[in-house]
Amino acid sequence: MSFFGFEQSNDLENEKRKFLERGLSGANQEDVAVYTWGEESYDGLGEALQEGGDELNDETFGATGDIGKDFDFSGTALPEHEQPTPSHAAHLHAEPPQRQLSQTPQKAQTPSHVEFSHSSQLDAIWGNKSPFSVLPRSNGSNRVHDNLATQPSKYASTVAQASPVNRPPSLNLGPDLHQGVHTLEEIEREMRAAAQAQHRQQQSQLAEQLAPQSQQQAQLQLQQQMLQQQHTIQVHGTHGLLQSPSRTQVQRPPTVGSAGAAAVGIQHAAATPPPRMHPHSQSPRFHQQQQQHQIHLLQLQQQQQQRQLLELQEQRERHERQQLLELQEQLKLEELERQQRQLRMQQQQIASANELLHNQLLQQRGISPSVSDRGRRGGVGRQSPAIMNPPIPIEVPFAQNMQYLPQNIQMQQRLLAEMAQAEFLSTMQGPGISERDAREARELQEMLRVEAMRKIMEAERMEEKRKRKLDKIAHMSRYNDLMTQSDKDFITRIQVSQLVTQDPYADDFYAQVYGAILRSRMGIATSEDRVLRFGSGGGVGLGLGQKIPAGRRQSALQRMEAQVERIVSNARLREKEKASLNSLQGALGRTSGRSYKAAPRQLLQVDASNASTSPTTSHATAAHISKQDVSVDGEGAAREAAKMGREALATATDGLVRKDPLTHRESLVILEQLYDLVLDIEQRRRDQPPPEEVEAFEEWTIQCESLIDQLFEKLKVSVPLETSNPHPFVSLITPIKGKKILPRVARLFDNTRMQILLTLIVACFSQLDVVQSAPRLDTLEETQEIKDLETQTQAFLSSVVQSILPVIGRAQMRLVTGLFGILLESNAVAIARTRPGIALLTLFLSRVEILRHAAQSGSDVEEPPTAEEMQSWQMMYNLLFDLLRPQLHLLFPSVRLSLLAGVSFTSIPNADVIDQPVWQFLSTLALHANEEQQQALVTGLREIVLENVASATKGYTDGEESRRLRLANVNIFLHALGLDASQINL
Amino acid sequence: MDASSNGIQEPFDLIRLSLSERVFVKLRGDRELTGVLHAYDGHMNLILSDVEETIMIVDHVEGAPEGHATVNIAKRKMEMLFVRGDGVILVSPPSRT
Repeated sequence: MSFFGFEQSNDLENEKRKFLERGLSGANQEDVAVYTWGEESYDGLGEALQEGGDELNDETFGATGDIGKDFDFSGTALPEHEQPTPSHAAHLHAEPPQRQLSQTPQKAQTPSHVEFSHSSQLDAIWGNKSPFSVLPRSNGSNRVHDNLATQPSKYASTVAQASPVNRPPSLNLGPDLHQGVHTLEEIEREMRAAAQAQHRQQQSQLAEQLAPQSQQQAQLQLQQQMLQQQHTIQVHGTHGLLQSPSRTQVQRPPTVGSAGAAAVGIQHAAATPPPRMHPHSQSPRFHQQQQQHQIHLLQLQQQQQQRQLLELQEQRERHERQQLLELQEQLKLEELERQQRQLRMQQQQIASANELLHNQLLQQRGISPSVSDRGRRGGVGRQSPAIMNPPIPIEVPFAQNMQYLPQNIQMQQRLLAEMAQAEFLSTMQGPGISERDAREARELQEMLRVEAMRKIMEAERMEEKRKRKLDKIAHMSRYNDLMTQSDKDFITRIQVSQLVTQDPYADDFYAQVYGAILRSRMGIATSEDRVLRFGSGGGVGLGLGQKIPAGRRQSALQRMEAQVERIVSNARLREKEKASLNSLQGALGRTSGRSYKAAPRQLLQVDASNASTSPTTSHATAAHISKQDVSVDGEGAAREAAKMGREALATATDGLVRKDPLTHRESLVILEQLYDLVLDIEQRRRDQPPPEEVEAFEEWTIQCESLIDQLFEKLKVSVPLETSNPHPFVSLITPIKGKKILPRVARLFDNTRMQILLTLIVACFSQLDVVQSAPRLDTLEETQEIKDLETQTQAFLSSVVQSILPVIGRAQMRLVTGLFGILLESNAVAIARTRPGIALLTLFLSRVEILRHAAQSGSDVEEPPTAEEMQSWQMMYNLLFDLLRPQLHLLFPSVRLSLLAGVSFTSIPNADVIDQPVWQFLSTLALHANEEQQQALVTGLREIVLENVASATKGYTDGEESRRLRLANVNIFLHALGLDASQINL
Repeated sequence: MDASSNGIQEPFDLIRLSLSERVFVKLRGDRELTGVLHAYDGHMNLILSDVEETIMIVDHVEGAPEGHATVNIAKRKMEMLFVRGDGVILVSPPSRT
């Protein structure tokens, strides 16, 4: 049933045409039609379709043979078939008795024949529009019946099944017909009956003809035809013939006349009451049919079960087919051939499915499997398995290929292009005129080709490069414009806000100082600090400033500076605006808290006033060490006063408050305080207000003075000498940073304080670490201790001696003599064997020489040395000379080292460098020496001088540098005596 | 002198005293340094000059009883060194004899 739609479109027309060709005249021609239909036009669908329908028909019809009206609808599509109905009406009357009587088709033959002639006439009248336009199929069904007739017992059910299916397409009953006396249904029935009768005649004729034919052939035909949807009429006809007499009698007694024609429909109605059944058609036979019902109930149930099974099967098949169709749709690129093949395949499938059904049916009916097999073979055999079966396996891989196609196409195109190129090139080479020419041409072309290839390659490479570059740029520019200008400004603001400090100079201290030093070295006089100051006291240190040569970086720096300035000024402007409430006018709901201050929350909220955790403590915020000290001073003022009083008392009573010398740690602590003070004072000096602001200037001066006083006091310079040994001041300058602070302090102190300081140093000279541990330096070892000592000595010479140098340079004769005397009081010889001692002695001697020279020349010396002073000086000098005279050669470190090491002093490494200060000292000593002393000097140093000159002139030295230095050293001394190394003859 | 009169308020003040002094620094990973302290910060990052680093390499000899490991000492010297603070265990003035 479900396949009705399938066939109608294709087959109806064909068959109609065929029928017409055949002509309406003869049933004789039916035979021909059977064959043609079976072989050529038959597409295998009909078979399958009818089988499926047959099952259902069997159920619906059952033995009742009652045809419901639900099948009417299918026939309405073809109005042409109405016409024959009236003609058959009469024929129908004769039918029922015929059925009852006839057990075999042969018997029924005669009456049907008569009627057929009648109908043929009518057909002639109505032309093409007979219901038999679809006749070709009827042949099939005819054969079926013929065939089945041989097995009458089982045939009935089969026929019943097939009949309703066949009927609908063939019986097309238009509404026009019902204008007559009969009701629509009656007319229909009549029509059907007429058609039935006609075909029965044909059928019977066929049966007659076929009877002598071999049973096999008949069976084969039967198989084919059974699957076709041919008219119910035929089926019914045969049905009637085949039905057992008992049954037909039960069913059909009332079916007489016109009503008898309805029997077929009623059969249907009994089995499955059609929804559209008309009451009046139903009423007369209903009660009779009730009996039928009961009889057939069991049968129906069985059939229903069967049907359910079949339906399931069918569904499965349909599903399969659907899948196939989907597959087909996917492969849209296929051409007609393939479509056809598919169609065939589909058909085959259906056919095979139907065969299965058929088989089942046959088995049910007890038909021998051979028959069904044959049928199947017939169906399959029509299409070669080679065509039928492969499509699926073939098509599937192709479909897979399809997916790769796009890529392949590219490849193919490229290959084609290459091939074309090759071809082109080969044709270019072409056939040569002569062989040589050809060869030349070929060579030329080869060259050209190579050249071209090279160029192409190059171009490709360039292209590649360019592409890569572009890719890179694209890659890099992924994040372009991710930040707006305002975003950038925002971040810059955050960064700048981190840079702004209260004291830009101090926070940028090292860069500032370094920059200042650099500038002074380069001769650029800029007293200005490289600091960007803001009105509210904040500022940004700008670092070294533009030392960088002009270029991109500089401009970048300038830009940055400008930007910072702009941002800061903007911020300040905003701040100002914020401060004034006026700015809030009209800003209702738009005032943001402090969004522009985007500084991150500080992890440690330390009060800046008393915390200075970092060593770079800004002096502006006043290091707490000094502060603390001040407060301590305040707190313990009484105690301090008492102590000081006692000290004063002690001094007064010529006694001493002896104290333990400062421990290393104490001196370190004091030094830190000193550094804080120094830094503070230095900062204040930088912040010097202009002298015009008298008040501020005065205040500043007073503050500075007090600070300097503090500093001086802290240096413990004025503490009595005897307080401790070493003196506190000596303890303070023992650490290297203590020595290094002196030059900075010296700048702050006035001359008086510096003289006190100098005196103290001289007085405590022997207490100095560098002096005390100096002998340890006379070693060739290289230990950490020696190295540290060396560093200390260097620091002393460069810091302490440098800081007292100007003081000595300004010192008067009296002071110098006094200091000289103090120095000689202690162990002069020992001091003279130290580098600091030599340096100090040299300073004094040279200063005296300068003073004396100045006095002799009568130049403008403030305080020319008096004769008394000169005399005392001479005394001092003589004392010194006498002290040094016995062991003059031991003044030389190289000599001491050589004694220690047991080698010649000339072979002491670096001897010239370490001996140089001593030569200088000796030269100054020689300047002051009188004739006798000079003689003593020469005799004392004769050996060393000679040795040095000899080694220098004879080239025993390490190199030219060393030789020159050695001679220079000797000459320093000899020149003082009015001699020269060149005068020495060895 | 008590601590307050020294102006020692926090541990870093003690380290400050050692500025430009020779210090002994113990580091993680069995390393020790001696050098002149030039600068430090709150993370105990240090800048040292004239540094001698001592590295203890403990070699566990195969089969030797527990605790019997040989300690090799490697030394090296650097003129200037930045010490990251997270490795610093101890900073002290060198012991004075």
